[in-house]
Amino acid sequence: MMAIVLQIKANKNIKYQTLFSVIHPTFMAINNLMKRVLIAIICLYYSGFSFAQTGLPAVKIKTLTGQEVLFNTIGSKPDTAVIVSLWATWCVPCIQELEAISGQYDDRQKETPFKLVAISIDDARTSQRVKPFVKGKGWPFEIYLDVNSDLKRALNINDVPHVLIVKNGKIVYQHNGYVAGNEEELFEKLKTL
Amino acid sequence: MKKIKLLFAALVLLFFAQAQKNNGRLSGGFETYSQFYHKDSKINAVVPPDRIGSNNYLKLDYSYKQFTAGVQFEAYLPAVQGYPFVLNSGKLVNKYFKYQANNFSLQVGDFYEQFGSGLVFRSWENRQIGINNALEGANIHVSPLPFLSIKAVYGRQRKIFEYSNSNVRGLDAEIDFSKTSKTTPATRVAAGFSYISRYQQYTGPVIDFPATVNASSTRLDISGSTTSLSLEYVHKKRDPHDANNYDNTSGKAFLTNFSFAKNNFGAITTFRTLENLDFRSEREATQSIGQVNYIPALTRQHDYLTTNIYVYNAQRLNETGGQLDLFYNAPKGSGLGGKFGSKFSLNFSTYRNHKNMDDLFSFGDEEYFHDLNLEWRKKWSEKFSTILLYQNLFYNRLVIEGEPLPDVKTNTVVLDALWKYAKKKAFRFELQHLATRQDRGNWAALLTEFSFAPKWIFYLSDLYNYDLTGTHYAVIGGSYSKGGTRFGLSYGRQRAGLFCVGGVCRFVPAATGITATLTTTFNE
Repeated sequence: MMAIVLQIKANKNIKYQTLFSVIHPTFMAINNLMKRVLIAIICLYYSGFSFAQTGLPAVKIKTLTGQEVLFNTIGSKPDTAVIVSLWATWCVPCIQELEAISGQYDDRQKETPFKLVAISIDDARTSQRVKPFVKGKGWPFEIYLDVNSDLKRALNINDVPHVLIVKNGKIVYQHNGYVAGNEEELFEKLKTL
Repeated sequence: MKKIKLLFAALVLLFFAQAQKNNGRLSGGFETYSQFYHKDSKINAVVPPDRIGSNNYLKLDYSYKQFTAGVQFEAYLPAVQGYPFVLNSGKLVNKYFKYQANNFSLQVGDFYEQFGSGLVFRSWENRQIGINNALEGANIHVSPLPFLSIKAVYGRQRKIFEYSNSNVRGLDAEIDFSKTSKTTPATRVAAGFSYISRYQQYTGPVIDFPATVNASSTRLDISGSTTSLSLEYVHKKRDPHDANNYDNTSGKAFLTNFSFAKNNFGAITTFRTLENLDFRSEREATQSIGQVNYIPALTRQHDYLTTNIYVYNAQRLNETGGQLDLFYNAPKGSGLGGKFGSKFSLNFSTYRNHKNMDDLFSFGDEEYFHDLNLEWRKKWSEKFSTILLYQNLFYNRLVIEGEPLPDVKTNTVVLDALWKYAKKKAFRFELQHLATRQDRGNWAALLTEFSFAPKWIFYLSDLYNYDLTGTHYAVIGGSYSKGGTRFGLSYGRQRAGLFCVGGVCRFVPAATGITATLTTTFNE
């Protein structure tokens, strides 16, 4: 459908081109330029923006060393489920949930391989504590920081803890709040994906 | 001209056809926090005329390719008791449009931003505390070189449902030295510089009054795989205003963090010293309104009933102090860890005044606050685990609350035990005791919680001031959650006191009644 519309437009363009180019040669140059600009725009439109490939927001979060990373590029390995947990050092249920998952991490990896990305929403008050805190817990997770809640806002998450399961760039499961035993549902869900 | 129009028409057609084929993404969230109050003379509960308080928020975002647009609607019908403002209406308060490409982004409308640690500038939202100081204007991010990133902001700050009558503009640049060479070194070194300026018209009689106030910050971050060091120095030009009692001197601050983390051990020390650093978008603003910068209390943020009675609030005009944290994980199978592992943490923070107001590094004799706490987490079996917490606290009431009352010293013990008796069923209880000879004397607390994963949770808690007033603050409640939605209902008493999140506190009056909350997220 689109292609036809475009072709009609293009045909009209050609008619105008021939007409004008006979009368005034400078128009030819302008025409060429226009065509090139149009082609360039179309190319740009279809090619560039790698981050538009998934349904996840392209929000910058930081690694523990301060490197910026786009949220939609983490866990980009196809067909591996990624558990994304939004947490904070001051949130007791968040820690309970991550401890519960950490305790079963190795065993559950054997059942269904997955990756866990824990994104702290600690702000400037407590964000500096995250790195030593995580080391002191011995967690086997990938940790990121969202210090001004940009990601939390983009995902429209109200409170922590909030977990998502992301697979092939799509959110396939989410849960707000933690109740002891929630991790069982997470692992059950992972098996069905 | 016709040709240009034709080309344009073709482009627009192309865009919409593409938009239909490859749908954009709609995401949103809704939150309501409503309270129904009744009279309760025992705790001097505040009852508003129509006995209801209800805060509601609806946020919607639509993104398509590199474009995002969104709105936020807020309704206070009226605002809940103790909220920093009294309102009985709703408004579409935040609106924005954003374009984001690889090395460039532009946001027009209401936006949130932070420079460095926020000591010179942070615009943010916290609904619990009633903070939303988004700027309305433009925000540009650009990375002209791989190692250089620049942020620019211009706008007027949101003030409840209106805007401050001033302009805030700023620039932040950060150089990441680890990206200047082609090989990536193990240690990241980055330096940053921020500049922020506020202009508010002045029509008063004082000659040479600073209508424009400038502040700057210089920072350095060195971050390796095990050790990290960060330094920041802030200077703010003289800025007489209400919140600093029209002090005509300049403001300063110095902040440093040093951390070490390896294997199962982590440590961090923080030192911060502040002088006359209250920065507002309007000279007349007080309390939590109109803050341009972010000065949190650098103390441990507690989450238990008794450890949240005496909370510190950073003293923006004159404060020096620091914090130390140690974290240790005794792994499974080790002597200390036992079969299931064990975790220890120690936290100590202390703050006081400056001896000499002009010297950032002079330590005064007046202690404001200290908090020493030790935590031990132990998993005893697959089913049973405990957390034991001890806290020793000092709280200077005159400085923190402005009340000429004696300082408070407390010793608190908390036991939090979880028994997961079936795969998805658990019982949790907390036993707490706070001992003090000052203020209202000793407190005890008990919490029991039954949970049925993943949806249901029921709890009963009682915070009991048995010493002086014999008052029970009992609450019974439950919640249901499914997917991104959560509904909670509770009934009981709410203790009057400071309620703090991040660096901001609000005073919550005593209240008795029903609280209903509903939050939902849709982003799939």
